[in-house]
Amino acid sequence: MNQIDKAEENDDFSDWKWEITSGQKWFELGLKEVYAYRGLVLRFVRRDLLASYQQTIIGPIWMFLQPLLATLIYVVVFGNFAKIPTDGVPKILFYLSGTILWNFFFDSLSGTMYTFITNAHIFNKVYFPRLVMPVSNVATQTIRLSIQSLLFIIIYFFYVIVYDKFSLNISLLIIPFLVVLTAAFALGSGLIIAVFTAKYRDVDTFLQYVLRLLMFASPVVFPSSIVPLKFKFLFWLNPLTPIIETFRAVFFNQGAIQYNYLLIATVNVFILLVVGLVLFKRREIAVMDII
Amino acid sequence: MGNIVLRAEHLSKHYRLGKIGSGSFKEDIQGIWKNTFSSVKNKISPSTKTDVNDLWALRDVNFDIRQGDVVGFVGKNGAGKSTLLKVLSRITLPTLGSIKGKGRIASLLEVGTGFHAELTGRENIFLNGQILGMNKKEIISKFDEIVDFSGIEKFLDTPVKRYSSGMYVRLAFAIAAHLDPDILIVDEVLAVGDAEFQKKCLSKMKQVSTEDGKTVLFVSHNAQALKNLCTKAIYLEKGSLIDIGNTGDVISNYLKREQTLYLNKSFATPQDAPGNEFIKIKSVKVNPGYLDQHQIIDVRTPLVISFEFWYMPQGEINLGVSIILNTLMGDCIFDVDSPSVPFKPGIVKGECTIPGNFLNNGSYSVNFAFVKNTSSLLFEYEDSLSFDVEDYRENTAWYGDWPGAVRPKFNVNLMQTLV
Repeated sequence: MNQIDKAEENDDFSDWKWEITSGQKWFELGLKEVYAYRGLVLRFVRRDLLASYQQTIIGPIWMFLQPLLATLIYVVVFGNFAKIPTDGVPKILFYLSGTILWNFFFDSLSGTMYTFITNAHIFNKVYFPRLVMPVSNVATQTIRLSIQSLLFIIIYFFYVIVYDKFSLNISLLIIPFLVVLTAAFALGSGLIIAVFTAKYRDVDTFLQYVLRLLMFASPVVFPSSIVPLKFKFLFWLNPLTPIIETFRAVFFNQGAIQYNYLLIATVNVFILLVVGLVLFKRREIAVMDII
Repeated sequence: MGNIVLRAEHLSKHYRLGKIGSGSFKEDIQGIWKNTFSSVKNKISPSTKTDVNDLWALRDVNFDIRQGDVVGFVGKNGAGKSTLLKVLSRITLPTLGSIKGKGRIASLLEVGTGFHAELTGRENIFLNGQILGMNKKEIISKFDEIVDFSGIEKFLDTPVKRYSSGMYVRLAFAIAAHLDPDILIVDEVLAVGDAEFQKKCLSKMKQVSTEDGKTVLFVSHNAQALKNLCTKAIYLEKGSLIDIGNTGDVISNYLKREQTLYLNKSFATPQDAPGNEFIKIKSVKVNPGYLDQHQIIDVRTPLVISFEFWYMPQGEINLGVSIILNTLMGDCIFDVDSPSVPFKPGIVKGECTIPGNFLNNGSYSVNFAFVKNTSSLLFEYEDSLSFDVEDYRENTAWYGDWPGAVRPKFNVNLMQTLV
């Protein structure tokens, strides 16, 4: 064996602090590591928030304007032209709630699924747990969601005060859980997709259509009540359906919360998230050879 | 002598070349099938026979590095240096073998990794610093030093996309220079920046290793910079470790093996020899007056060019021989003539000495021109010999390219005329 200097008797080899080998552990979520790098997660969140509205005139106001413009389009196209019912909910509130939640899911998912492709230049030069990137992306989207929720809340209370509609009750406490569930769904599926898009870009092109379909397979621009009965079970199997419907049930006092479907969604999302984390952790370094 | 802080054992890295597409998808499926259902597992090693698409970027590399060592990695392009640094930095996984280590490791394979063009210098100091592994507190405590080192305090709140490329590199290097790991991995960063800044970086690196006792792993094509900075060196060739030890010895060994030499050619009979009815080359030779046992031609080495040829004149003519030295790019460095004199048919030989401290470093080839009566060409023997001249410097901290077609050592005298 080649050595710069021969090992000496007093050299201590028992206390290696780390080891790099080809083998990866079979089951590892990598969450502890991400926690150790939480400073970096926050830094990327800051970067994304600061950078997203550089060189614009109205800056962060775009964060409100984007969902508002989308909502207005939906009100006109789906509400007025297509005359899709909103189950008695004011159109603007109905579409705004769908848009905000869908955008949160969509942005979290697409940020996560392109993790390797968009960050290849960084991943090729420096090591940190790769999960830092998708986690910080989802955190950024959560902040955007919170800010956009303000818009929803303002319009909502306008209806409460002026038209004396709706009343809030204890079920409001489920809202944070809905956000976590949506984030976990986006993260879990995004991580799985990320591993495959890194090697085969076909996945990415194919998914463009799947995502477009998914929006219309979720009650974003229509209420679930118009879905034919024979598709009902399938429709509710999509985790986004109970999430959006529960959100509307809480704010618009429409019927009872479908706890059974919410439970199924929670279990599915949990399995998806664990599979995603394990797969991502196993492949996070190896993927860089083929990107 | 410090403790061993890093150990590489049987390190090998395999790459599969070729396009990723439907072909590789088929292979993936076959691989999964084989691994799941076949009792014979798909095992590969650098010694097994491989097809053209298999590339072993590292083959069974073993070494130990001690605390406080400054180790230089040398080798040609494709020798595996960058792959080794990538494996050490955990950017790519080894196929076989392992690396064990103690202490925090930071790698600097590029300056300014993760810089965001839209953000200000101030934001980017924090962003890049944290990507490289510093925490926020450390950056705050070193912030003024970093700004000072980079010399961009006026532009701290300007987006870095407005920076000149020089400012950008300065800021990036300033952050990197203030990293405080136990083991620092550096790749070719000397290739950027102006001379003054390069010097600043080199002295900073030297300070890190000598004063702070850090372990530094360093890759550069610049043998001179390595010689000056490193205490130990590792020489890689085609993924294998060829030599390891004292920097001077390893680098000399490297240069000697890499020098492409055609220092002599000789021909037994006129029938085999190049030439024509007047001239047939018997032998041509460059004879270096090596300065030490390493036998490297560097800028100090005197070279004796000697030649012999069969001469078959027709009639009473005078013969002169010119020696023409060209660079690899085809630029002529010089063309020197012998006196034009009559010779009888037979064998004629000649010699010319290029003194040491005359040629610049680079690759050269030699042409011989045989001229009748100082006016007409009898025969020109092109690209007969070629040799490389390596760089050699003393008492300087500048490692950029030395300008000039030649590099003579004329005296430049200084004297003080006023105090």
